[in-house]
Amino acid sequence: MRNRVREQRTQRGLSQAELAAALGVSRQTVISIESGRYLPSLPLAFTIARFFDLTVDKMFDPDDEEAGA
Amino acid sequence: MMPFIPPRLRKPAGIALAGAVFAAAWLVRDGSLWWVAILAVIAAAARAVSWYRMGGRDTDEGALAASQADERQQLVSLQSRALACNLAAVAAFIGLTVAIAVKAAWWWPFLVILAVTGFGYLLGLSSYGEPDADDDADAEQPERSPIQS
Repeated sequence: MRNRVREQRTQRGLSQAELAAALGVSRQTVISIESGRYLPSLPLAFTIARFFDLTVDKMFDPDDEEAGA
Repeated sequence: MMPFIPPRLRKPAGIALAGAVFAAAWLVRDGSLWWVAILAVIAAAARAVSWYRMGGRDTDEGALAASQADERQQLVSLQSRALACNLAAVAAFIGLTVAIAVKAAWWWPFLVILAVTGFGYLLGLSSYGEPDADDDADAEQPERSPIQS
């Protein structure tokens, strides 16, 4: 599943640690989500989407099997 | 669990407590083996300190040691514990098989471990699985309409 976390984060000039702190998760989890190795839970997916002012389906694309941004 | 203890101290405290209980067992067994009890306390204290130090690291292991794991880290911990349980069950089965083959008297601890892992698995299924229910089983409960005040 492709996601736009890295793209949105870099657009806003945030580091992985800063995004992790804002989302209440670890930096390692942000790295895993960005690389597509970890699919976040539904609550975390909503938290991420809301943080970037996007909808969940804009943030995470289930039709694209390729991981990462 | 243990909300009165700061998260980073919870696992070290558990290790220290386990070490104290283990040391007490040596004292109860034989008072002349007090030095083994002291060794156990020292080992537990060293392990507790190392876990406390690990809790300060910016890693998955550090977050778990500090009892501050997020959802992915909790999943990693769960998977690791499941793997450990699987390995324990396989090792117990091998041990039981070998003990039976050599007619050893120490076969039963392996059987106990196998039984506990099997029982734990069934307990987990019954605790965490969705109970088998008919379709719309909860339809009997009065449903509150969102348009009713």
